[in-house]
Amino acid sequence: MNTLRLYVKSIGMLLRSHLQYPSSFIMQTLAQLVMEGGEMMVVILLVDRFDNLKHWSGGNLYFFFGLMAVSFYLTEFFGRGITGDFPSMVRTGRLDTFLVRPRGVLTQVFCGGTDPRRITCIAVGVAALIMGSILSGISWNIFKVLILIESIAMSCLLILGLFMIEAIFSIFSVKSVELVNAITYGGRSACQYPIDVYPLPLRALFTVVAPFALTMHVPASWILDKPLYGWPLWTAFVTPLSGAVVFTVMTCFFHLALRHYRSTGS
Amino acid sequence: MRGYISVFKMRLRMELQYRGAMIGGILCQMFFGIVLVALYNALYEGKPQSVPIENVATYVWLQQAFFRMLLATDPDLVDKIRSGDISYDLCRPVNMYGFYYARIMAQKLMGSLMRAIPMLAVAAFLPKGWGVSAPTSALGLLAAIPALFLGLLCICALENITMAFTMKTLDPRGMQALLNLLMMTLSGNLLPLTLFPDSWQKVIRFFPYAQLMDAPIRLYTGDFAVSDAIGIYALQGFWAVVLIALGMSMWNANKKRMIVQGG
Amino acid sequence: MSYIEVDNLKKDFIVKKKREKGKLLREKDTVNALKGVSFSVDKGELVGYIGPNGAGKSTTVKILSGILTPDSGEVQVGGLIPWKQRKVHVKNIGVVFGQRSQLWWDVPIIDSYNLLKEIYKIPQGDYEARLKELMGALQLEELMRTPLRLLSLGQRMRAELCGSLLHRPELLFLDEPTIGLDAVSKIALRDFLKWENKQYGTTVMLTTHDMEDIAALCSRVMVLGHGQKLFDGKLPDLLERFDTVRNVQVKFDTENPDIKLPEGVEYKRSEDGIILSYEPAKLPTAQLLSILQESGNISELTLQPENTDRLIAAMYKELDL
Repeated sequence: MNTLRLYVKSIGMLLRSHLQYPSSFIMQTLAQLVMEGGEMMVVILLVDRFDNLKHWSGGNLYFFFGLMAVSFYLTEFFGRGITGDFPSMVRTGRLDTFLVRPRGVLTQVFCGGTDPRRITCIAVGVAALIMGSILSGISWNIFKVLILIESIAMSCLLILGLFMIEAIFSIFSVKSVELVNAITYGGRSACQYPIDVYPLPLRALFTVVAPFALTMHVPASWILDKPLYGWPLWTAFVTPLSGAVVFTVMTCFFHLALRHYRSTGS
Repeated sequence: MRGYISVFKMRLRMELQYRGAMIGGILCQMFFGIVLVALYNALYEGKPQSVPIENVATYVWLQQAFFRMLLATDPDLVDKIRSGDISYDLCRPVNMYGFYYARIMAQKLMGSLMRAIPMLAVAAFLPKGWGVSAPTSALGLLAAIPALFLGLLCICALENITMAFTMKTLDPRGMQALLNLLMMTLSGNLLPLTLFPDSWQKVIRFFPYAQLMDAPIRLYTGDFAVSDAIGIYALQGFWAVVLIALGMSMWNANKKRMIVQGG
Repeated sequence: MSYIEVDNLKKDFIVKKKREKGKLLREKDTVNALKGVSFSVDKGELVGYIGPNGAGKSTTVKILSGILTPDSGEVQVGGLIPWKQRKVHVKNIGVVFGQRSQLWWDVPIIDSYNLLKEIYKIPQGDYEARLKELMGALQLEELMRTPLRLLSLGQRMRAELCGSLLHRPELLFLDEPTIGLDAVSKIALRDFLKWENKQYGTTVMLTTHDMEDIAALCSRVMVLGHGQKLFDGKLPDLLERFDTVRNVQVKFDTENPDIKLPEGVEYKRSEDGIILSYEPAKLPTAQLLSILQESGNISELTLQPENTDRLIAAMYKELDL
C-alpha cells in the first residue's frame, strides 16, 4: 500500500516536471498522435486493398491493433523507467542512488519514469478497439469485459518483462539494444496482427518465448467469437497469465543481475 | 571540395568501428523484414494484387536493408544543437552546410551499405516470394544504381532541413519525430508505396520522399520501366536541387539569426 | 566492536580491453580495485579517505553503502552486512555523491524532500522538525520553491546534504563534497558538517582530493593507493612524514637586503619579493623569522600555507602511486 502511494506521488511529481516545458510537451504529444495515427493508417490501407487477412475481417484487425496499442503504450506510459530510461539510469549513476535508499530497486525504477506523451497513442488504440468492436459486431457480456481487462493487464506485464531483458543487459553494460528491440518493438509490430497468419517459427517465438499469442490473441479471438485454434473458453482466462509468469521470471533475473552490478566510476 | 572529401573519409572510418552495433542492427532489421514479408504473403493468399508478391517482398527487403539510409542522424550535430554549440560552428568562415552534408552522406552511405550487403545476401536465399528476387533485367539493376545515388542526395538534403528546423525550435524532439514520420510513411518504409491506394500513388510518387528509396526500388523490381529512367532521374535531380537550395537558405537564415543574437 | 568493521576487503573488476587487430574476441584484464583493506571506525568519528584516482576510494564507499558486493572480506556497519541487509542498512546511512544528484532536477527542492519523506517513511512530525532544523543550518529557506536546476553549485550541494540527512542517518558518506565550490561555500559546508557531527554524533566518512577539507574536518585520515591502505592516523602525523619543505615569501623596504642565511635554505627572487624554502625539521620557523628581522625592515611577509596539494603529490610520489 505504501509502495503504491510512493508510486502515485512520484509519478505526480514527474508529470509536474514534464509540464514545466508545456510547449515542447504538447508538440511531442502531437507527434506521438501522428505517429500512432500513421501506424493505424497502414492497417486501414491494408484492409482497403485486401479486405481480409486470412479469415480475419477488417474489423477484427482493428481490434487486434487496438489491443496491442493500448497495452504497449499503457506500459510505456506507466513503466517508462523500464521501457526507456533504465540504460541512462545506469549510465548516469542514478541506479546508485536507488541502491542507497530503503526501498526495492525495481520500485524506484518504476517511480523514476513516466511517459505521459503516450496518452495520444493510447487514445488511438482505444479508438481502434471501439472501431474494431463495432465493425466486428461483438456482443459484449461480463465475461468478455473481464477477459479484455485481464488480457491488457497481462500483456502490459509481458511487455515489461521483455523490456527487462534490455535492463539486465545494461546492468552488465552489454550494448545490444537493437537485438532486444527485435523482440520488443518487433513483437509489437508483428503481434498487432493475429498470430495464425505467420509461419510456424514466428508462431512458436510469439507463443513460447515472448507469448503475445497467449496474452492477446487467445483472449481476443475468443472475444471476437473466433476462438484461436478452436480452444475452449477457459484457455482465454488461463493463457494470459503467462504474462505474469514472464514478468516474475524476469524480475528474479533482474535481482540476480543487480548482485553483479559494478557501478560506473565516479 | 577537398575539405569535404576528407570529412567524408573520416566519417567512413568511424562508421567501420561500430561492428557490434551493426550486427545487432542487421539482425533486428532482418527480423522486421521477415515479419513484414510473412504478413504480405498471408494477405496475398486471400486476394492477389496486380503487383506480384515477389516484387513486394523485394521491396520490403530493400527498404529494410537501406533503413540506415533513411533514419540515421549525425549524433555530434544533434548534441551540438542541443547544447547550443552549433552557433560557434555556424559562425566559422567555412560553409557549414556543405561540411555537415558531407558527414551525413558518408554516415548514411557507409552505414547502409555495410548492413545492406549481408542482409541482401541472406535474403537472396529465401524462397521465391519471401526473399529478394533478382532484378528483372540487368538494365533494371544498372538503372537503379544512379537512382539510388540521386535518392541519397535527396535524403541528405532532407536531413539537413530537419536539422535546420531543429536549430530553430527550443525542443527538437517533437519536430524531428514529425518529420521522420512523414519520411517513413511517404518513402514506403511502413507500407510499400506500391500498396497504397492507386489514386494516392499518382500524387505521392512525385513527392520528394518517393525519390529516396521508392524510385530506385521500383526500377530494380521492374515496376518502373527502364525506358522511363531518364524521366525519373530528372525528377530526382529536380528535388535534390530544390531541397539543397532550401536547406542552404535555412542554414544561412539560422546563421544570420545567431550572429544577431550574439551566439 | 567498532561501528564500522572492515576486514581484508577485496574487489576485482574485469575490464574489457580494446579489440586488437586480427583477434576475434576482446581480451580481458583484471583490475584489483581493493587488495585486502582492513580498518575500523568508531561512532562519531570524522574520517578522511584520500588517495589518487583509481585507488579504490569509491569502491570502498560503494561497498560500505551497499551498492557493490565485494569478492571477499568482511564488512559490518552497525552490526549489519551492507549488501546482504541492504534495505535495513541504508535506513541508517546518508550518501552524497559529489557529481550526481539524488534530488529531482526539474521540481522545487521541497517537493524532492517530500518524496524522500515517503521513501524513508519518516513520520510527519519528525520530518517537519528535522526539515526546519536543516533548512536553518544550511540556509535553504529561501530556496525551497526553486527547482534544483536553477541553483548554483554551492546551493545545490547544500540542498543535497539536506536531502541525505532528513532521515537522521547515523553514518554519512560524502564523495568529494566541495569539488567546484567557491571558498565561502566550502567554509559554510565544513562548518555545517562539524555542527552535525557534534550535535548528533553522526559518523562521517569523507573522500576528497582537497586537503583543506581534511585539515578542517577530520581528526583521522586514511590514505589508499593501489587498492591498499597506506596510512591510517592523525593528519599532523601524516604531514610530518611528508611535509619536509616550506616556503616564506618576504619583501623588504630596501632593494638588496643583506640576509645571512644558514645552510640548507634556498633563496629565490621573484616579482613579489624573495621566496625562501626551508626545512622546518632542521631550522625552526621562529629562528628563520628572527634572522629575517635582523636583516632589514620587513614590509610584507607571508608564511605560505602548507601547500597540501604539493604535499599530496610528494606523498603519492614517495609511496609510488
